[in-house]
Amino acid sequence: MKKVAFKTLGCRLNQYETDALASQFQDKGYELVQFDESADVYVINSCTVTHQSDHKSRNFINQANRRNKDSVLVVTGCMANNAKEELENRKEINYVVENDQKTSVFSLVEAHFDGEIIHPSKLNADLFSYGATDKGFHTRSMIKIQDGCDNFCTFCIIPSVRGRAASRPIQDILTNIREVISHGAKEIVITGVNIGRYEYEGYQFDDVVEQILNLEGDFRLRISSIEPDGFGEKFLGLLNHPKMTPHLHLCLQSGSEPVLLQMRRMYTAKRFKEIVQTVRAKNPDFNITTDIIIGFPNESEEDFSATCDAIKELNFGHVHTFKYSIRKGTRAERMPNQVDERIKTERSEILRNLSDEIKVNYRKSFIGKTQSVLVEKIDGNIANGYGEHYIPVQFTGENIEKNQFYKVKITDIEDGSDPVLKGEIL
Amino acid sequence: MRSHKVIEIRNLTSSTYVIRMEKNDFTFKTGQYITLGFSGSIDRREYSIYSSENDNFLEVLIKEVENGLVSKKLKRCKPGDYLDVDGPFGHFSLEESEIGRKKFLFIATGTGISPIHSFVETHPEMDYQVLHGVRIEEEAYEKDSYPNGKYILCTSREKSGDYHGRVTDYLMKNPIPSDTVCYLCGNCHMIYEAYDILEKQGISLGPIHTEVYF
Ligand SMILES: Cc1cc2nc3c(=O)[nH]c(=O)nc-3n(C[C@H](O)[C@H](O)[C@H](O)COP(=O)(O)OP(=O)(O)OC[C@H]3O[C@@H](n4cnc5c(N)ncnc54)[C@H](O)[C@@H]3O)c2cc1C
Ligand code: SF4
Repeated sequence: MKKVAFKTLGCRLNQYETDALASQFQDKGYELVQFDESADVYVINSCTVTHQSDHKSRNFINQANRRNKDSVLVVTGCMANNAKEELENRKEINYVVENDQKTSVFSLVEAHFDGEIIHPSKLNADLFSYGATDKGFHTRSMIKIQDGCDNFCTFCIIPSVRGRAASRPIQDILTNIREVISHGAKEIVITGVNIGRYEYEGYQFDDVVEQILNLEGDFRLRISSIEPDGFGEKFLGLLNHPKMTPHLHLCLQSGSEPVLLQMRRMYTAKRFKEIVQTVRAKNPDFNITTDIIIGFPNESEEDFSATCDAIKELNFGHVHTFKYSIRKGTRAERMPNQVDERIKTERSEILRNLSDEIKVNYRKSFIGKTQSVLVEKIDGNIANGYGEHYIPVQFTGENIEKNQFYKVKITDIEDGSDPVLKGEIL
Repeated sequence: MRSHKVIEIRNLTSSTYVIRMEKNDFTFKTGQYITLGFSGSIDRREYSIYSSENDNFLEVLIKEVENGLVSKKLKRCKPGDYLDVDGPFGHFSLEESEIGRKKFLFIATGTGISPIHSFVETHPEMDYQVLHGVRIEEEAYEKDSYPNGKYILCTSREKSGDYHGRVTDYLMKNPIPSDTVCYLCGNCHMIYEAYDILEKQGISLGPIHTEVYF
């Protein structure tokens, strides 16, 4: 039996795409092994969103090659688009597959073992023809509804590497979800690059969400990362649907209005706060998590403190901070007043401490409350999973089954900066 | 990406010019932008579309930026050259349902007038006012395109305009009725300040639209 190993970097969309590819390899008789084991095929689904992700992607390429020099090494994902020539010139990499041909990675590898060498550019370009992800790595079933982005925020390389916005036909999405639910999926996560801008034959993002929520079955719906500008009031109304999980990863990027303008983000900090207030008015412990970029060109002390204030005010469940790094070809690359690396590091440190504190406080507020935990991992009689708010929960019990919901009363919280909630089955 | 043949270059000042290209089958919503560069070149920049949705050509209004790469190169293009056009992109668009019903205020600095020109050429029947902030009068690009009384020129470096000062000074002295739909385009500082002023004058956030150039 041939062995395949995957390494995924970057966003949830990449994660979904790896899951789907892994399922396909497994369906065709491959054994899925860890990346640090010896395999016949290594697939690196790369990311290029920051310098750090480029660096990590390169590291994993080296590791795969060291582990088995005779393996087939495929590099796909955003770095394959952004640094194609560099990667194609590396002899140890057999195939460099751009994002829009990623669905064909399996046929490429299969052809390779049959002695046929196909150049990836000859493969079909199709953004959505991934199979189901039921054999992947996660209990949550990710469903891709959209790809690409036309927003062109001035710091962002994604529109260049993921291409123009494209939406998957709504009927395909619903069929795919019905299928995974019938296979036992309990949590559906809809994913894409800029899902709020979904548009297909008159259907907008909120229409898709509404139709998914109206599907039969014992499942809950999670929205992955979303930009604050695409959706309307109808979507906010749907957040109280019993099948909707009270969690949004809503990307703020900066709390300063001038910085948001220079980023060409399509909302104001004020609008962002209004969205949060609207959501929390109906559901005060709604989990809103976010991304923040630190040290965007021209970011002054005043801008930075506006970001800190916003974080304090909005009580985020988690803040993912990134130090700004120049991406070639973006507008921000050409902006004057790039921020000194030392200042970025100082600001990162401040923000990280602040967000850790806020995260712990937010999680503590669940003590005494109940969570509906979808179990992902069982170790003896200790079960781990996520509650509907997307906070990790651990509890003990006999005969607990994976991929089932359990009502758990939260009684305690771990120490540390990413604390797991502890609870008892009700 | 499509290749479009240049029809003519119209020099409006020593640094600002309009490139007219063949439209071919290109369609867009007024207010949107394209990215433009010489055929095959990797250096491309965003430019709002200056012409109307209904024109049978495509125009952009460009100011040569000091030490700029692409705005300088494009100035040297000749009729018959081919330019690569990608797009259209952007959400700086009019709301169809508001066009016949609302009063509009368009605020622009410099070449930020470009999408506004496209708005009013596409929908001349609109009830609108243009507030254009420039340094000197010669930057009132093709101001005859706007009927009498609809275009107010604010000049910051000389007294030749309808108003001497920046658009933000004008707005502070001349409050805007709160049911006006505002669109702001051009440099970030103007947009930030004007936004603040308009908000204080009671214009609700929703109908303010912005397009930041730099
Ligand atoms: C959505 C959008 C629409 C745009 N539409 C237009 C348009 O219709 N007409 C137009 O002339 N420009 C427009 N621009 C600006 C344009 O894309 C380029 O930035 C500009 O032409 C300068 O490019 P460059 O290659 O010559 O200069 P670069 O080499 O890219 O930059 C040189 C320096 O000039 C600064 N700079 C950039 N733009 C300006 C400017 N307009 N004035 C002063 N300094 C600037 C940059 O920050 C940089 O530091 C638009 C920008 C965006 C984002
Ligand atoms: S919305 Fe902005 S940050 Fe998000 S993918 Fe598009 S360009 Fe990048």
